[in-house]
Amino acid sequence: MQGKQKKLFKKAILYIILILIALIWIIPMFTLVVTALKSKQDFYSGIGLFGLPENIAWDNFINAFTKGRLFTYMKNDLIVSGLKVPLGIFIEALAAYALTRLDIKHKTGIFIFFLIGMMLPMQAALVPINIIYSKLNLLNTYFGLFYVYVGFGISFGILILRGFMKGIPKDIDEAAYIDGCNKWKMFIHIMVPIIKPAIATLLITDFLSTWNEYLLASVIINDNAMKTVPVGLMTFVGEHGTDYGYLCAGVLIAIIPVMIVYLFFQRYFVEGMTGAVKS
Amino acid sequence: MKKKVNLKIGSYAFLMPALIIYVSVIVIPVFYSLYISLFKWNGIGAMEFVGLSNYINLFLNDSIFLTALKNNIIWILLTLLVTMTTALGLAVMLNKKFKGRTFFRGFFYFPCVIAPIAVSIIWRWIYNPSVGFINEFARLIGLDFSQSWLSDPKVSIYAVFVAALWQALGQPMILFLAGLQGVSIEVLEASLIDGANGTKQFFLITVPLLKETFVIVIATLIVAAMKVFDVVQGLTGGGPNNATQMLSTYMYSQTFTYNNVGVGTAISCIMVVIMMLVIVPYVSFTAKDD
Repeated sequence: MQGKQKKLFKKAILYIILILIALIWIIPMFTLVVTALKSKQDFYSGIGLFGLPENIAWDNFINAFTKGRLFTYMKNDLIVSGLKVPLGIFIEALAAYALTRLDIKHKTGIFIFFLIGMMLPMQAALVPINIIYSKLNLLNTYFGLFYVYVGFGISFGILILRGFMKGIPKDIDEAAYIDGCNKWKMFIHIMVPIIKPAIATLLITDFLSTWNEYLLASVIINDNAMKTVPVGLMTFVGEHGTDYGYLCAGVLIAIIPVMIVYLFFQRYFVEGMTGAVKS
Repeated sequence: MKKKVNLKIGSYAFLMPALIIYVSVIVIPVFYSLYISLFKWNGIGAMEFVGLSNYINLFLNDSIFLTALKNNIIWILLTLLVTMTTALGLAVMLNKKFKGRTFFRGFFYFPCVIAPIAVSIIWRWIYNPSVGFINEFARLIGLDFSQSWLSDPKVSIYAVFVAALWQALGQPMILFLAGLQGVSIEVLEASLIDGANGTKQFFLITVPLLKETFVIVIATLIVAAMKVFDVVQGLTGGGPNNATQMLSTYMYSQTFTYNNVGVGTAISCIMVVIMMLVIVPYVSFTAKDD
């Protein structure tokens, strides 16, 4: 009986600690939402951050979308991410397939060569990319952004997909070759269906990191009509630095797509990531 | 004979798209940066070869560069001391079986999916000295102070770090959770029978069993700390008075604000060298199982 009580007590402590940390952790999201609903005047007329506004400032959202050009930024980001994510994964899968199952020399060496790129700072490539792009007229283009995003995503993609493919027994290949498959058919009809779970994990993480990328986009894009969400948000800050109701409405709209992706895939996400890392 | 050769070319064809893009986006530009860093150049006019003097000037005559280097080291120490221990603590709690575990895991991971730039805008507002959350909340509970968090050089780097901690905690937490799944319950139960208490068990059994996870977490945290850019750029841009200047933000402003392209690329090459010191042992550790 005593043991049971002790266990219950321990559980209660665990909940209390977790809820306390969670309360601290929710502060930024709480601040974001309550601010987005208020007009600039509300903050200086005594209502403050915690008071209720007389009228909810829906204008903030409408203005952010139209005058703030958020619609344009989100459209651009969606186009670039929509191109980069599937094509990038396809290219990474081809390479991972070659590195695990085809007759290629120095497989480990090539793999390490790819792996190093994951850890290099983007800064080291920034100036040359800028120079080359301005010569090739690729600044302010979807293709320009798409191409560097694929380049910087390759290392991580190959790391994950190679790890997954290594675990697939080689017997499958032999059986497929006997059945008359060539390498290409073997890749499309046999390998791709097997690696679906790894592809799904990559689709989500890749979408998020592409959607959120700031540094490269800030160097490649300076035309308002071509900006992605993070670069656009910084422009937003420059234009409306002190109007926080408006800014927070903008940030809230900008992170809604990410929240949706996360809510839908959350379970799979955290549990899936744990599994991916484990293997 | 001919057929065999064809077969091999076919194999390399699968590798080619990735290799071409990777080399053109990362490998060639990195060497190109190294080349540019040997010149005095404003990005437009003629390039003047100066040898290693960009590097020498940075280390001998540039106090902002040394501040940035120091700040990166402070940042590494903060992530190892605060981020890593908090993430481990949370992971240990969230590895226990209880109702709502999945919710809490997802909850603490959530900030990882928000753009760091968006995070910096939110925290800028939280730190607002007159009506931001922290100072308003302090007034609400009867404390009367208005600290300026981001414009006070003494506290600004810690203020930026807290924002970064909020955002990035989920990643090491997930890594530790994955590692903890490899710690078998039988081993832990056996140790309890042998008379170990919870704390003892944690330090003598769980931590040593997490050795590989620690290597991964420490390596990724150091690499991330060397790369840190978005949150700092969005919150302070390196200010006030360079108090939050990092190598990444200094490289950015030298290159794109002051047009000292030679100096900027030299900073980025120094970043590469420092990171290699971490990466080379890490990669050889990771590739060991091959």
